[in-house]
Amino acid sequence: MWKSTREAVEMKAMNIYGIREGVRDVRDVKKEKNVKNVKKGWWGLIVWLLMLTFLAGPAVGQNKLQQSAGGYHGELDFPWSWKRYYSYAEWTQMMKEIAKKYPDLASVESIGKSQMGRDQLLITITNKKTGDHSAKTAMWVDGAIHGNEVNGINCSLYLMWYLLTRYDYDPYVFNMVNDRTFYILPGLNVDANASYVEYPNTENNPREPYRPEDDDNDGLYDEDRTEDVDGDGELSMMYAVDPKGDLKLSPDKRQFISIGDEKDYPGLRYRRIGTEGFDNDGDGQINEDDIGGPDPNRNYAYGWNLRDGNPYPMSEPCTRNAYNAMLARPNIFVSFHYHNTGRLIMFTAPQPMPQQSAQQSQRSQQEREFGQRGTVQERLAEMRKINKYAQLFDRQVASEFQHDLDVQTSIVTAGARILKDYTPTFSGLSGQAQATSYNMLGNYAYLIELWGNPTYEADLNGDNKVSDEEYMKWIDIELTGDGWINPHPFKHPDLGEIWIGGSGKKHVGRTPPSRYIETEADRNAHFVMYCVNQFPKVQVADISTTPEGDDLYWVDVTVRNESTYPTASDRSKKLERIKKDKLVISTSDKIQVISLNEKLPFNDPAQGFRNAHNPGLGKETELWLKGNDSQTFRYLIKKSGGKGWIEAEIISERGGKDKKRLTIKD
Amino acid sequence: MKKLMICVFCISFIVGFVAHAQKVPINFDKYHGFTGSESFLKAVSNAYPDITDLRVIGKSTMDRPVYVLIISNKKTGTPLDRFVQLRNPRQEPVDNVPPMTNDQAKPGHWICGSTHGNEFTGTEVCLYTINKLVTGYGSDTEITDLIDRNSFYICPIVNPDGVYNSVEKDLSQRGNSLMKDDDHDGKINEDGPDDLDGDGRITSFRYKDPKGQYIQDEVDPRIMISLGEKDKTDKQRWSVIREDKDNDGDGKRGEDSEQGFDLNRNFPEVWFDDNGYQGGTGDYPTSATEVQALAEFFSTHHNIMMAQFYHTSGGFTYRPMGVSSDVTMHPKDIAVYDLIMGKKYVEMMGDDMPKAWMYPDSIGDYKKDLEAKSGNKFAAARGYEMPRTWVVHYNEKENKRYGFGLQSDWAYQEMGIYSITTELFNYRMDLPGNTFTGDDAYTLFQHAALKYQQAKANGAWFQDWKPFKHPELGDGEIGGWYPQYQSNAFPGEILEKICETHWLYEKYRASLLPHAVVTEAKGKVVEKAGSYRIIEVTAKVENTGKLATNLTRGAELPGNRPDVVWLIGDRDNVSFIQGLAWQKAGVLDGTMSIPGFPKGKTSNEVKWLVKVRGNTPLKVVVSSMKGGTNAKDVEIN
Repeated sequence: MWKSTREAVEMKAMNIYGIREGVRDVRDVKKEKNVKNVKKGWWGLIVWLLMLTFLAGPAVGQNKLQQSAGGYHGELDFPWSWKRYYSYAEWTQMMKEIAKKYPDLASVESIGKSQMGRDQLLITITNKKTGDHSAKTAMWVDGAIHGNEVNGINCSLYLMWYLLTRYDYDPYVFNMVNDRTFYILPGLNVDANASYVEYPNTENNPREPYRPEDDDNDGLYDEDRTEDVDGDGELSMMYAVDPKGDLKLSPDKRQFISIGDEKDYPGLRYRRIGTEGFDNDGDGQINEDDIGGPDPNRNYAYGWNLRDGNPYPMSEPCTRNAYNAMLARPNIFVSFHYHNTGRLIMFTAPQPMPQQSAQQSQRSQQEREFGQRGTVQERLAEMRKINKYAQLFDRQVASEFQHDLDVQTSIVTAGARILKDYTPTFSGLSGQAQATSYNMLGNYAYLIELWGNPTYEADLNGDNKVSDEEYMKWIDIELTGDGWINPHPFKHPDLGEIWIGGSGKKHVGRTPPSRYIETEADRNAHFVMYCVNQFPKVQVADISTTPEGDDLYWVDVTVRNESTYPTASDRSKKLERIKKDKLVISTSDKIQVISLNEKLPFNDPAQGFRNAHNPGLGKETELWLKGNDSQTFRYLIKKSGGKGWIEAEIISERGGKDKKRLTIKD
Repeated sequence: MKKLMICVFCISFIVGFVAHAQKVPINFDKYHGFTGSESFLKAVSNAYPDITDLRVIGKSTMDRPVYVLIISNKKTGTPLDRFVQLRNPRQEPVDNVPPMTNDQAKPGHWICGSTHGNEFTGTEVCLYTINKLVTGYGSDTEITDLIDRNSFYICPIVNPDGVYNSVEKDLSQRGNSLMKDDDHDGKINEDGPDDLDGDGRITSFRYKDPKGQYIQDEVDPRIMISLGEKDKTDKQRWSVIREDKDNDGDGKRGEDSEQGFDLNRNFPEVWFDDNGYQGGTGDYPTSATEVQALAEFFSTHHNIMMAQFYHTSGGFTYRPMGVSSDVTMHPKDIAVYDLIMGKKYVEMMGDDMPKAWMYPDSIGDYKKDLEAKSGNKFAAARGYEMPRTWVVHYNEKENKRYGFGLQSDWAYQEMGIYSITTELFNYRMDLPGNTFTGDDAYTLFQHAALKYQQAKANGAWFQDWKPFKHPELGDGEIGGWYPQYQSNAFPGEILEKICETHWLYEKYRASLLPHAVVTEAKGKVVEKAGSYRIIEVTAKVENTGKLATNLTRGAELPGNRPDVVWLIGDRDNVSFIQGLAWQKAGVLDGTMSIPGFPKGKTSNEVKWLVKVRGNTPLKVVVSSMKGGTNAKDVEIN
C-alpha cells in the first residue's frame, strides 16, 4: 500500500520534472534515481522539495492527482451520459461547452461547411501553456465519415471528454495533453450523421454525403427516397403476401424466415419487397434513387477511381474540408478513422512488393526472418501460445518499408489487446481516408470498424457465429426485448395490403444499443492514447569518454528512441515530408572535435579493431531514429588546457529534443 | 400633348436604334485582362437577360470570381423535373437537389481561356465568341438556332489571379496565386519580382556577365539571343533576368512569389505517377480552387459534350490524350476527333491534310504503309501521322506521357466530352505577310515584330533598354517586351483574325451536337369502358443532331446515363399496365457518318399500355444527358 502510493507520488514528481525540463523521458529519470539508491526516508523530502519548486514556479501542474485506481477521476466535472446517441445540435453544443470549461486545454473551430451548410467542428486538445498545438506531434481522429456509423461520433467525443475531464487527475493523460496535440473531428459526414440519428432510417442509411445523384439513371436526382410508411419512427422492411413467395413467418411470428426445403409449404407465404418507402416518382419502383452521392471513403485522392469515388477526388465538401484540415496541420503523425462494423483494426500497410521482385522469393520477408521455423500461420500459432493477441502478417514489402510494417504489427498487437475481440487486418486503398493519410501524408493510419455482431454475448454453441435464433435470444435477454420491430399488416398507397416489420431497430445492428456504447468508446479511447504514448521521444541516453592517450579522448554519444513509433515513417521519408533527426555536438572553448573518415574502421583496442560505432563526423550529424532504436556515435576530441565540457543535443521534428552535457576533468 | 407624343416617339426611336446597334461595344485593340473581361461579362449579361446568365462558379486565392457566362435561350428547353410529378415525400426536409435549369436541358458547349494566366489570348477569343453569339442572336439564323437549341458555357478566365497579374500588373504569371511560404522562412510571398524602375510593369534587366547565356543581336541590339549551353562566342556575354531584387535579404531573388502552380496539371486524370507518388501539381487533384470550380461545374452540368480549353501558343490543336496514349481511347472517338473535327480544323488552318483523312476508304492501305515505314506504332494503328495543326500531347515516338493531370484528358476520360486544347497564335505564321522558318525563325520574327509594334502601336509594346543600377547586380539596363506582348497574339488585326477563325471553328463544333427529339407520340385506344380507356402509346425518339448522344467513352462512364423516355400523365388518372413510366432508349446515333464505323440507329421506338381515366392528357418526354430534353403531347386516336 505504502509502496504503491510512494510510486505514484514519485511518478508525479518525475512528470513535473519531465515537463519543466521539456523533453526528458520519465523512465530515464526513474532509472537515474534508482541507481543513486537514495535511502527511502529521503524520498519524501525530495518529493516535497520538487513539489514546492513546482508550486512556486510558473509551470503547469496537476492539481488533483488521483492516486487510487478506484478513486474519482473527474468524470463528473463535466457530466455527460454515454448511454445514448445525440443529435447534431446536441453533440456540437457539448463540444463548445466542454471547450469553454477547459479553455487552457481545448479549442473548437469549424473547418468548413458541409453540402447542406452544417459546420464541421474540430476540437484541438493540448495544454496551450506548454506550447502551441502546431509545435507538438499530433494525433488526428475523425468519426463517422459514413453517415450511419455514428458510434464513431460517440467514440471521438468520449476520447475528447476523457482527456479533458481526467487531465487534472490522471498523470498518463496529464503528460499526454501537455506534450502532444489531439485533433478530433467527431462527425465528418455531418449531414448524413444528423439524419441518421434524428430520422427513421435503417442501420445502413444514409451513408453518403448529400450530393444529388441519379442512381437509377432515369434523369432525376434523389427523387425516390425511403419513407417511414407506417409512421412508427423506425424504417423497417416491407413484405407482400405471395403464394409463390420463399418466406414464411417464424413460429414466434417475429421474423420472416425461409421456407427452406418445404417447397409445398401450406401456410401463408411472403415475398420481400424491400425497405419501407413509397413509389415517389411513379415508375413502379420503390426507394430506387435514395439520397446520397459518392461513398465518402472512396472520395479521397489516393487510389481514387471514378466508379466508386465520382465525380472527382475530394469532391464532397465534408471530405475536402477534413483533408484540407489535415494538410494544414503538418504536425499530425498518426490518424484514426472510425467506421462500423465488424470489430476490425484496419491499418494501411505499405504496398506489397511488385509481383516481379516478390517472385524472386516465394516466402515473405517475415517468413524469412523466422528462417525454417514454419509458415506465417504456424509461427503465429506458436506466438499465440504465449500472447493470444500476437499478430503476424503475410506481406512482403520493399525493404525500405519494412520498418513501417513492423511498427504497425507491433501497434495493432497492442490494439487487439486493448480493444478485445477486434481483428487487425490490412485496409483498402481505393480513395480511402486512411490510405491517403499514410500514402500522401506519411501518417500511420488506422481505420477502426467499431462494434459488430455481439458474438461474445450471443453465441451459445461456441461456433463463433451468431445465428438468427441466438440473435433473437440476445434481443430478449441482453436487450430485455427492446430493439425488434414485429411484423404487422399495413395498407400501402402504392402496394395495397402488405406487411411491415421483422427487422431490428436502428441502434441494434451496426450501432451498438445504448448499454454497450460506453465500453466500446472507452476501449477505443485507450487504444488512441496508447498510440499517442508511443509517439517518438528522442533522448541522449548516454555520453561517455575513453582516453585515447595524450590529450585525445573518444567520446561515445548514444541517442535513443524507446517508443514503438520511429521519428518518421518510411513513407514520410519517401515523401520528404519530415526533416531528418539531428545530433549536434558542442564543446567548451578548448575542446576540439576532430574530423573522422566515414569509410575507415576505428582503430580501437577496446572495441576489438572493429567498426563498432558510427563515426561522429562533425558537429552536426543527420540520422533517423527508428522505433525502439538506439544508435551510438563515436567522436574523437582534442582537449587543450584544463577542465572542459562536451554537449550532445538530439533534435527531432516529431520526436522532440534532448541534450546531455559531460564535464571532462583534467 | 403633341410635344409629349414627339418625345415618346424620339425615345422609342433612340431605344430602337440602340437595340439594333451593338448593345455592349467591344474591340480587340488591347487586352481586356481580368478587369475588362469582368465588366464586359456584366454588361453583356445585363444587356441580354433573355439569353444570358452570368454565374460565379468559384473564387481564386485572391478572391477574384471565376465567371461562366451561360448563353442559351431561357425560353427553350424544359428540364425533366418540370414534367415528373413526385408524391409522398420523405418527412425529413432535405433540400439537396436544386431545380434543374433550362440550359441543362440542352446540349452544352464549354469554352474557356487562361488556365495559364499569361496565356490570355484565349480570354480574348472567348469575349469575341460571346460578342458574336449575343449580337448574332435574332439576326443570324444559324446563331439564333444554336442559342435556341444549345447551351454555351463560356469561362473567359479560369485563372483570374494569373490574368490579373499578367495583364493589369504586366507581371507574367502562368500558375494561380497561392498564399504559400515557398522558401520555408516563415513569411508568405515576401520575395516576388519587383518593378525596379517604377514604371508599373515587370520587364527585364540585362547586365554584362562573362558567364551570361545571352548575346545582343547583330541586326537589332535590343534583341537578346539565347545561347546554347555549349555555344562559344567572342561577343560580349549578358545575363537577362526578370526585374527583381532580393526583398528579404536572404541572398535570393524571387524565391517566394505569389505564383502558385500550374492549374493544367491539377486535374484528376493520371495525377499520380506509376509508383503512387505525386505526378501532377498541388496537394491533390483538384486542390486548386479554380480547378475545383471547373470540376464541380462539369459534374453538375452533364449536358456538356464539347469543350475547348484555349492556351497559347503554337497555332495548333491538341486532342486527347497526353497522360496516356491512343490505346486508352475508343477508336470511334478518335475517328470523330480526327476525321471529323480535325479535318475541319486542318482545313481552316490551311495545313496539309493526311491522305487517310481524305480517302478514309483506303485507310487499310495507309496503315500497312505506316507499319512498314513509320517508327510510330500509334500512327500505324490509326493509318496516319498527326498533321502539324492537329496533334496529341502524348509523345508517340518515344511512347512517353507528356505530363500528369491535364484538363483536356480529364474532360474526355472522366466526363465523356469531346475536349480539345487549342494553342492559339503562331509567331511563325501570324504576323501579316510573313512566314518564318528555320533555326533563326524566332530572331527573324523578333525583327519583324519590333517593326510591327513601331508601326501599329507607336512602339508602346516594347520598352527600349535604359541604364539602371541594380542594388545587387550593379550596372545594367532595364527594357524588353512588356510581358503581356511577349507571347500572346498582338492586339488588333492579328488577334482579331485568330478570334474570328476560332469562333468559326467552335461554331462548327457546336453544329455537331446531338439533339434528342420526340418525333412521334401516338395513342391507340385498345379498350374502352365507362370511366377509363386502355391506350397503347407509341413514341418515336430521334437524334436529329450530327453526333451520337454519347461518346463511346461516355457511354461506359458511371453517371453518363443512356437516353430515357418518360410517359407523363396525371398520376391519379393514369396507371401503367405494361411498360414502366420511363424506359431506356440507349444511345442514339447522329445523322453524320463516321468513316470506318457502321451507322447506328438514330431513332428508337418505345411503347406503353396504360389505363387512362377521363380525358387526361399524356405527354412523351425524351431526356438525353447530352442530347437535351424534348417533349411532345400524345395524339390519341
